[in-house]
Amino acid sequence: MSLQARHSPRTSFLLYLGLTTVFLVLVARLYQLQVVQGPTFRSAANANRLRRIDLPPPRGVIYDSRGEILARNRPSFGLAIVPEDLPADDLDTPVDERALAIRKLLLLLQADRDPELALELGESLFLFLGRTDFTQTLRRAGIEVTFRVVNVSVAEDTPEGPVVHEVPTIIPDLSRPLPLTGLSALLYRAVELKSQGSALEPVPILERLEREQAFAIAEELYQLPGVQVLEEPVREYPYQEMVSHVLGFLGPIPAGALSLYQERGYTDINEQVGLNGLEFTYQDALRGQPGRKFVEVDILGREVRTVGQPVEPVPGFNLRLSLDIRLQEVMYQALARKAEEVNAPNAVAIAMDPQTGAILGMVSLPGFDNNIFSEGIGEEYLALEQDERRPLINYAIGGLYPPGSTFKLVSATAALAEGVITPFTVIVDNGPIYLPNRFFPDDPEQAQKFVSWNHKLGIVHGPLNVVDAMRLSNDIFFYLIGGGFPNQMQGLGEERLAKWTRLFGFGELTGIDLPGEVAAPVPDDQWKRQRLAESWTTGDSYNMSIGQGYLLATPLQVLVSTAAVANGGQVLQPRLAQELIDAEGQVVWRAEPTVIRELPVSPELLGVVQRGMWAAVNEPGGTAIASQVEGVTVAGKTGTAEFCEWDPEIEDCAYRTEEGNLPFHAWYVAYAPYEDPEIALVVFLYNGGEGSAVAVPVAQEILDAYFNRLRP
Amino acid sequence: MPARSDWRYFDRTLLIAVVALCGIGIAMIYSATANTVDLADYWQRQLIFLGIGLVGLFVVAAIDYRHLELLAQPAYLAFLLSLVAVFLVGTDNNTGARRWLDIGITVVQPTEAGKFALIIFLSWYLSRFQEHLHRISYLLGAVFLLVLPLVLVYVQPDLGMTITYLFIGGVLILVSGVRLWQVALLGGMGLAALPFLWGTLQGYMLERIRIFLDPQSNPDASFNVIQALISIGNGGLWGMGWLNGSQNQLHFLRVRHSDFIFSVIAEELGFVGTTLVLALLFFVIARLVRIADRAQDEFGRLITLGVAALLFFQTAINVGMNMGLAPVTGMTLPFLSYGGSSLVSMLMAVGLAQSVIMRHRTIDFLT
Repeated sequence: MSLQARHSPRTSFLLYLGLTTVFLVLVARLYQLQVVQGPTFRSAANANRLRRIDLPPPRGVIYDSRGEILARNRPSFGLAIVPEDLPADDLDTPVDERALAIRKLLLLLQADRDPELALELGESLFLFLGRTDFTQTLRRAGIEVTFRVVNVSVAEDTPEGPVVHEVPTIIPDLSRPLPLTGLSALLYRAVELKSQGSALEPVPILERLEREQAFAIAEELYQLPGVQVLEEPVREYPYQEMVSHVLGFLGPIPAGALSLYQERGYTDINEQVGLNGLEFTYQDALRGQPGRKFVEVDILGREVRTVGQPVEPVPGFNLRLSLDIRLQEVMYQALARKAEEVNAPNAVAIAMDPQTGAILGMVSLPGFDNNIFSEGIGEEYLALEQDERRPLINYAIGGLYPPGSTFKLVSATAALAEGVITPFTVIVDNGPIYLPNRFFPDDPEQAQKFVSWNHKLGIVHGPLNVVDAMRLSNDIFFYLIGGGFPNQMQGLGEERLAKWTRLFGFGELTGIDLPGEVAAPVPDDQWKRQRLAESWTTGDSYNMSIGQGYLLATPLQVLVSTAAVANGGQVLQPRLAQELIDAEGQVVWRAEPTVIRELPVSPELLGVVQRGMWAAVNEPGGTAIASQVEGVTVAGKTGTAEFCEWDPEIEDCAYRTEEGNLPFHAWYVAYAPYEDPEIALVVFLYNGGEGSAVAVPVAQEILDAYFNRLRP
Repeated sequence: MPARSDWRYFDRTLLIAVVALCGIGIAMIYSATANTVDLADYWQRQLIFLGIGLVGLFVVAAIDYRHLELLAQPAYLAFLLSLVAVFLVGTDNNTGARRWLDIGITVVQPTEAGKFALIIFLSWYLSRFQEHLHRISYLLGAVFLLVLPLVLVYVQPDLGMTITYLFIGGVLILVSGVRLWQVALLGGMGLAALPFLWGTLQGYMLERIRIFLDPQSNPDASFNVIQALISIGNGGLWGMGWLNGSQNQLHFLRVRHSDFIFSVIAEELGFVGTTLVLALLFFVIARLVRIADRAQDEFGRLITLGVAALLFFQTAINVGMNMGLAPVTGMTLPFLSYGGSSLVSMLMAVGLAQSVIMRHRTIDFLT
């Protein structure tokens, strides 16, 4: 039996006081957390649940002038892991939850039973991790990976023409698929690497899944937190190597240019951007504006719902070109056939509207299939990179060659405009001319001999006016108008030659809307002193006026100079893109012909040069008779440009002929119709030989197709 | 001086407050498990436990608490024996701490029922020797009887339960009318023992304390503590609304239906609602203190205060843990957290207090 209760008012008071105090402390803390720090925690909770998803805009389609699709987007499916959403390794338990999750994923993919899938996984992880990490990770997992050497076919130029070499390349021997433990270890390593950076970014592990395969995996995804099926558009170029140099290709933002892209508002370093061709030039317009949405995710990273109004992506503008794919195809086929026939390592054909500068076709050989870039950088890419013909270069704008006799358009125009000759001036070709030595003018032994091509054939052309000289491509005539002859004739000379060369657009970029264009400085006295520490000689002027010597130009520059003659004196900026069209079909931008300069020459005098080009095609003895096209009058000028490609191995110029003479590039420039030019053309074959024999037939085939098949 | 049971004195206010808390608890469990398929029926189970617990409450209330005096010593003895048994042949139920006894059908954790054995036994001892407590030997006797099970629980190891026992026992000894110098002496002894205890703290205990002191030191382990704070803060003044707490519904908060139910309440009901719930909890405890004040004898007073101490301690530690004021211990929030045995035993403890208040009138005269 217990005793009477000890009811002490003081004890009760203390108990109530204690209770109240603790209650108030808890409420105060609650107030602090919910009201004072509430907004902070609210944003932390939002950061937990809200995830920003970038919605990539569909990239603009590229059309040719008639609406034929040249570049489009094809959906492609891939599998990616979001490291953040993978279960973390719970340190309280002996098992590694992350490793378990990865294993589960691999089992679900049937990586243990599907050797093809295991192979593909192995390859993509090899590319992701690199060789060292790949090997070490596998070694830690107790798997020795052997490497095998495969021979990647690479073509190399030799004097005897391109020879295909087998270049040994080391790749991991994945002929037997990696066991599950190996794949697990690699995947774990990949996730680990990525977790150190931005763990929210998906790590792609499988690409180019079939649609059905992707859907099957997507259905199982509820079991697999942190695994996503990504739908990514892949750029597709239906015409492959036929227009690859013009279109270019896409690739991830180059590491070196990252900050430049960031300034332009690119946030995802893995975004595919145009790296070459029109894809590069019109990158921002084709790309459009990415949209974004916020989704609510649960703790496993699964999307629960979309929050708020998504910002829809603005599709990129479609791009319409002046290029006609049918003409391009004709140009490609004709050029490729001829290049193969004469063993030309590279060759170029460009067609342009001489009135506007709009490019109608542009082929550079060798071509490459730009679709291989969309499929990730693999063996095919390596082969391209190592091909010594360097197919990635667009030689139409990236190759510098002596223009040869096609340059006579410039010398003739200059001589007429500067009054060195009149249309009626007659110069007689009596055979080679001997230019007296500057310092010993009376010693014939020291004189320099200049021949015209016809002298080698034992022909002299006799008296010639400028039209005759162009028709026959006589060199003597042009030597003399370029350099004159001591005590007999005043030529253009170094200064005026250089001036007119520049006026025609040589020495500067044409400004075409393609990246990678080059230009060589116009040689003159100053240039020669700086480069060679020698002064300019009359002989240099001789050589320059027939397009030899120090002058180098791209095929496009040569075409621009041709168009300037054809259109009556306008040096135009060539352009491929004609219109940008938005998703509603509205034209948002239209190219205007850009005249860079008007040549200071009267239409009458320029008409004489045109007449010379007409004669070369249409008069007996013309060098380009073979380019006549039924139903239309063609005007043209051939070129056979001697060149020396210095080969340090043989310490001599490559491609020498059997007699030891220097080899030739084959050139031909033409336009038609003569009366009202619609198309100007340049054909160039590296080491092709005689312009009239090699380049002219190619041009004939192109012009014939253009006027008799393609033109409406 | 026999007391008569009288249902007129049954504390209906207390019952209403307790049932209200249980009702809020079930609603919040519903919300916490609403989109978790394998937990979705937990609110129904809790409803059934509430029914069982209420029956238990009335049964206990109907029984004269003074009969428990007879049970005090055997219950204590049985408790000690079960702890020894756990020490010798217990199972760790795959958790690393040996706390369970395998009795064939299921495993039991003796420390749960032990709380009540300890309350009843200490109340009996302290009321039986009420007159002698000013003598240090009797006081030390009480301390010894408390420390005996404490040590056995501590070595299991179960730090949370050890501290719970210490708190309940301490409160009971303090309210039994010890002198100030005696309190000082006990406190001094406790402090002197601390350095020895520190060495025996298990790794996991230290880890928990470290995380409590610096949550960023181990982000993985303190994940839930941080998520609880975010949940509470996310509630703001008015809360996100029932079934609408994002932290809760999207499962950023773990063990949300039991240990962290308070965070669910805070997120969905906000500062206003949560303060009301807290007030209700403290009202229940204060009501128990009021019953103790009116108890007819010291035994009744002490067991009621023991129940109040238990309720108070679990409330303070659980709420403190949710709000980052106390380390994470697996302590549930009375009446609100999911859990059958916890709810039923808490309701029966309230029944015990009802039994005391129903018999608080001594019959000085017969009518």
